[in-house]
Amino acid sequence: MEPAMGMGLVALMGAAATVAGCSEDLESDIGSQSNPNSQVQLAAQVGYPHRIFNKAISGEPPSNAMYCAVGAGVAMVLMSESVMSASPLIEIAIGAFVAALLNGVFSTTSYMGRNASQTRFNQYVYLDVLRNQVLSLMGHAYIATFCIVLLSYVLWEQTLIGHPFPFPVIALIWGLCVGAIGSSTGDVHYGAEREFQDFKFGSGLNAADSGNITRFAEAGIRSSMDNAWFCSKFGGPATGIAFGMVVFLDNWRSTAFGGWTAVVVGLVIVLALVIYNRKIETYARKKYGPYPEYAGEIAA
Amino acid sequence: MTDIVTMLTMNWASIIGIVIGGICIAVGVHFVPVGGAPAAMAQATGIGTGTVQLAAGSGLTGLLAAGYMYMTLSAAGVPGISEVALICATGAVGAMIMITVTMIVGNWVYIYGVGVPPASAKKDYDPITGDPQAPYVAAGTVGQGLPTVCFVSGAMGGLLGGLGGSLIYCMLMWVNGDPAISSIFAIGVFLVNAVLPSYNIQGTIEGFHDPKFKRVPKAILACFIASLLCGIIAVTIPGAAMLGGA
Repeated sequence: MEPAMGMGLVALMGAAATVAGCSEDLESDIGSQSNPNSQVQLAAQVGYPHRIFNKAISGEPPSNAMYCAVGAGVAMVLMSESVMSASPLIEIAIGAFVAALLNGVFSTTSYMGRNASQTRFNQYVYLDVLRNQVLSLMGHAYIATFCIVLLSYVLWEQTLIGHPFPFPVIALIWGLCVGAIGSSTGDVHYGAEREFQDFKFGSGLNAADSGNITRFAEAGIRSSMDNAWFCSKFGGPATGIAFGMVVFLDNWRSTAFGGWTAVVVGLVIVLALVIYNRKIETYARKKYGPYPEYAGEIAA
Repeated sequence: MTDIVTMLTMNWASIIGIVIGGICIAVGVHFVPVGGAPAAMAQATGIGTGTVQLAAGSGLTGLLAAGYMYMTLSAAGVPGISEVALICATGAVGAMIMITVTMIVGNWVYIYGVGVPPASAKKDYDPITGDPQAPYVAAGTVGQGLPTVCFVSGAMGGLLGGLGGSLIYCMLMWVNGDPAISSIFAIGVFLVNAVLPSYNIQGTIEGFHDPKFKRVPKAILACFIASLLCGIIAVTIPGAAMLGGA
């Protein structure tokens, strides 16, 4: 493959990954999936019933791995000439649609099951919440799955990059990766900031306040749509940048360089990130200073 | 039965490689700073997700890079020891890139989105930079974000995870030569060795400076046994298919 073509494909994969990461994080924010879900689940039990969507199907990595593997599996079956002879884009779109349907089934059953089991805490099943937000969840899941199956296709197709792993396995691995990144980055914005906006910015969340989530919005009662609106300003795009950077940097170094040079370039990238992390750590300490409640012996 | 014994005696080197790979993954998981659900609420130091999920996410990303490198190098014949070293290094660096990018963006969210400085609650001073930690830990929490020591520890965890996963893949490719079977078995063996150490970690660990890190020998023993069993199964089942025995 020509270098220019290779770099073009890497750029395309990076762009698709950025959109996928953002959409995946917003899907988990609307549904309160992954770790911040513990607070949504706890809220009603400690006396704060709410109208936030509650679905913890599983951790984000396994659930996204499943959607992506299903999407790629369906697309791969459709790609065989005996089944359907259409553009791969259409087949990937159908695969992603099937995965989105799966997301809808899991979201509905988990919302109803979880909230029905909390009736004793005055936490009800709100049918309007279910009706309004399941389609939004499915839409975001569709975008994330479509982009990941697309970038997996580019990686797998023999006339393009030609990776030796099977198409659904590549999609499964990228699904696992995007879930791990979304759970580690964007979800913190939702769990540590949006869920506890009543508390002073930067004050940290005392463990004694667990479950006391913010239930009222800028106007009226807060819904998961409000959470998606807020998180789309920072947490979602940050997740997209993280996943896009992983896909781009990892593929760029192996496309632009070969052998041990690619390994050395990778190590240089890692070293640069370690130094950058130290820079932002010292910036944060200078900017925010030590906590005023601290009364120990160690000087700041 | 004879086929299985023949298969095991022919591929003893691959089984040893799988065991070494499994132990690398087990040790690597202890290096990854994970804070679980409390970290997602900035109540604990580390990355706000589960141990297995992050280790698998980074290690398997490295496996993708290693699989492509194996294919490139195998064009000139079955890769030997020096080629396997290059493949494992490629996988290790791929996993390091994934985990360091995740940690840096995680720190963006903690610093700019949540407004808390990274701080460890397990040490009074950062073992690498010497910075005081306790004054920067928010009241009622056990730290937040990823200070330098956790960041470096996480990069080392990614290195070991990616190295182990790639080594297992190479060993399986030596046995059966089929990337599809080898990749799926490598993912399986990886997950076994990522799940077992998480019983040591019990949800949260900050990295090599955490007192829980001293439990590593127990994980090495458990993963040695588990990897040996996985190696025997992984060599015989896909290998028997190659011989036409299954």
